[in-house]
Amino acid sequence: MPFQEKSAWIMSVALLLGGAFYVSVVSEMSSPQEGLAPPVIPVVAIYTVILVVVAVAGHIVAAVAGPKEANAPEDERDSKIRHMAGYFSRYLVGGGAILALGVYLLSYDGNLLFHAVFASLMISQISEYAIQIYLYRSAV
Amino acid sequence: MARRPPITNRIRELREQHGAMTQAELGDAIGVTRQTVIAIEQGRYSPSLESAFRIARVFGSTLEEVFRWDEP
Repeated sequence: MPFQEKSAWIMSVALLLGGAFYVSVVSEMSSPQEGLAPPVIPVVAIYTVILVVVAVAGHIVAAVAGPKEANAPEDERDSKIRHMAGYFSRYLVGGGAILALGVYLLSYDGNLLFHAVFASLMISQISEYAIQIYLYRSAV
Repeated sequence: MARRPPITNRIRELREQHGAMTQAELGDAIGVTRQTVIAIEQGRYSPSLESAFRIARVFGSTLEEVFRWDEP
């Protein structure tokens, strides 16, 4: 397995863990009476810490397990896969942001706008790594 | 599953004819990783024109002797 594919797996796990934390906290803080909880810095900060810790620890383990692959520069196939995955994820984040803005125009709910844009960012990142993994395992 | 490119190659056969060259050695010679050589051999990746020429040069062959357009 190329180091870049291992990296995509690590980042997918990190993003899914961070996303699960974020969704669980926001849904716990929200109530049917008061609506969606407002975005708070500590939740975003903990999300970022989860992401960084899992990503750094995962990459250290992957690099120790295969130092030669970890040190190898990205080649033409890696570059093509990265670009193809990035192309799709850019559409996702853009579409998500436009959708969030449209919902805001109808609801004027700023909290929903923040969470929707944040979710678009998370989904586009997870999709980017998922597409990378798919492309590494299929024909490019 | 994405469609495989209609290109076949004789890289595995040529490696064996050239002193059982390993995939990693071929990768080092043309500037790609072993995994990319594996993907090329299995027909899961079409190399760039530059890499295709590099592969052919490693084996002292022409492009046509290494790669073949194999559309059904």
